Amino acid sequence: MQALLSFDKAPPFAAPLRFFLTAPLFALAASLVLVAVGPDMLASRWTPALLAATHLITVGFMLQVMLGALIQILPVVAGANLARPLTVARWLHGGLSAGGALLATGFLAGRHGLLGGGAVMLALAVGGFLIAAIRALTGVPSTSPTIRGLKLSLAGLAGAVALGCVLALALANGWSVPLVVLTDLHAGWALGGWAGVLLAAMAYVVVPMFQLTPGYPARPSWGFPVVVVGLLLTWSVAVAIGSEVIGRVAQVAAAVTGIAFAALTLRLQSQRRRARPDATYRSWQFAVACAIIGLIMWSTATVFPVLAEVPGWSTALGVLIIAGGFVSFIVGMLYKIVPFLAWLHLQNLGGGGVAAPPMNRILSDTEMRHQVWAHFVAVGALFAACWQPGWLARPAGVSAAVASAWLFFNLARAFSRYRRHAASILVPVSSP
Amino acid sequence: MSHPKTPHVVDARYMEPPEPFVRTMEMLDTLKPGERMLLILFREPHPLYKVLRQNGYAYESELRPDGTFEILIGR
Repeated sequence: MQALLSFDKAPPFAAPLRFFLTAPLFALAASLVLVAVGPDMLASRWTPALLAATHLITVGFMLQVMLGALIQILPVVAGANLARPLTVARWLHGGLSAGGALLATGFLAGRHGLLGGGAVMLALAVGGFLIAAIRALTGVPSTSPTIRGLKLSLAGLAGAVALGCVLALALANGWSVPLVVLTDLHAGWALGGWAGVLLAAMAYVVVPMFQLTPGYPARPSWGFPVVVVGLLLTWSVAVAIGSEVIGRVAQVAAAVTGIAFAALTLRLQSQRRRARPDATYRSWQFAVACAIIGLIMWSTATVFPVLAEVPGWSTALGVLIIAGGFVSFIVGMLYKIVPFLAWLHLQNLGGGGVAAPPMNRILSDTEMRHQVWAHFVAVGALFAACWQPGWLARPAGVSAAVASAWLFFNLARAFSRYRRHAASILVPVSSP
Repeated sequence: MSHPKTPHVVDARYMEPPEPFVRTMEMLDTLKPGERMLLILFREPHPLYKVLRQNGYAYESELRPDGTFEILIGR
């Protein structure tokens, strides 16, 4: 049984871990930008510091964890093995980290060369990953909504990166493009087509598995990724032909689709069979609630554009969807993945002779729960700061910095305990 | 638990990993030649599929409207 339990092709722990440990540092950097720049940063969604912080979170934190986790998860959820996962992980991690830092510095310092260079570096890193992932998925039939969602999310990622590259190079070279319209579309593909569809594809597996809920019904599960990508394509065509009405209808429909998925998730969570709510459950519930409110704000402002001009509206909905929704979901996911991977690798290392310690000795629920609460406080403070930046921007930045540093500390602590246990297993195994 | 497809069933829908895997391997050990077993889950178990292929088992998976995967396993 022990031999059967070991995934012989599972990438080494270092492959995903480098992404997971780097990501909180980018979130910390975004928080420190807010502390340093202060209230001016939240004056509108277009301030250079806010654009920098947004990309530190979306690229440096979200993309970093999502791609790092995919390298690990592809064999488990799709039966697709990346060729040379450690090599892919090394290059991707380097490209994402350097590209994300350059992009954010370019925004912050107004250095167009850095902006363009960062975008090209990110495009190359993500492009390399996409080639490896598409090769792994070639020939894998879409036998489940998860696999279909996974494939469509990669198309969403390609769209988001291509649009991001065009925007960054347009800024760097002074090209004449409709910046506002393309930025909205870029955000739509990045958050909806890539992150949203990937999140749904993963949720189909992990929500029932970790929270012991009923499964997602088949029909909406097959439909959600297709509808979201279809609506994004409609929005893109609307931009190309200059039809504002069609673009707005597609955006509202995409928001409503997202709300329906979030509401379905809440309903399944309410039917869970796990009696005690753990840190991940709390985190995901918070994520779903924030996403619903954020999507309602987005769709309302799309129907009544005057709302988007209300000071704080656009930044607040960004905080809810990105920090409250995606980051909370990712934090909850990290708290399942990291202790499980540590346990799995220790189990394999022990080879059946030495039992791995239980997962709660790698990271206890209390340790995770305290950090999750710090994150909730930070999201609340950031949301409030959008409306009252004058006296809340810097405290919100400090609060977010504490939550990010705490996440790093927790993940580093889990890794250090893993190493200690690994050393204690290897000593008796290697001694004569 | 029995099922129209086979009397040998592991309903793992509300089990945490790795219990579905362990229970499936245990039941496979008890099957007589020609018998098949049914694993019921809310996901497709790709790591299990791999182990089944390596050990000479065949499987068919079917997604039900309620989101349940029924996986029929035999030699």
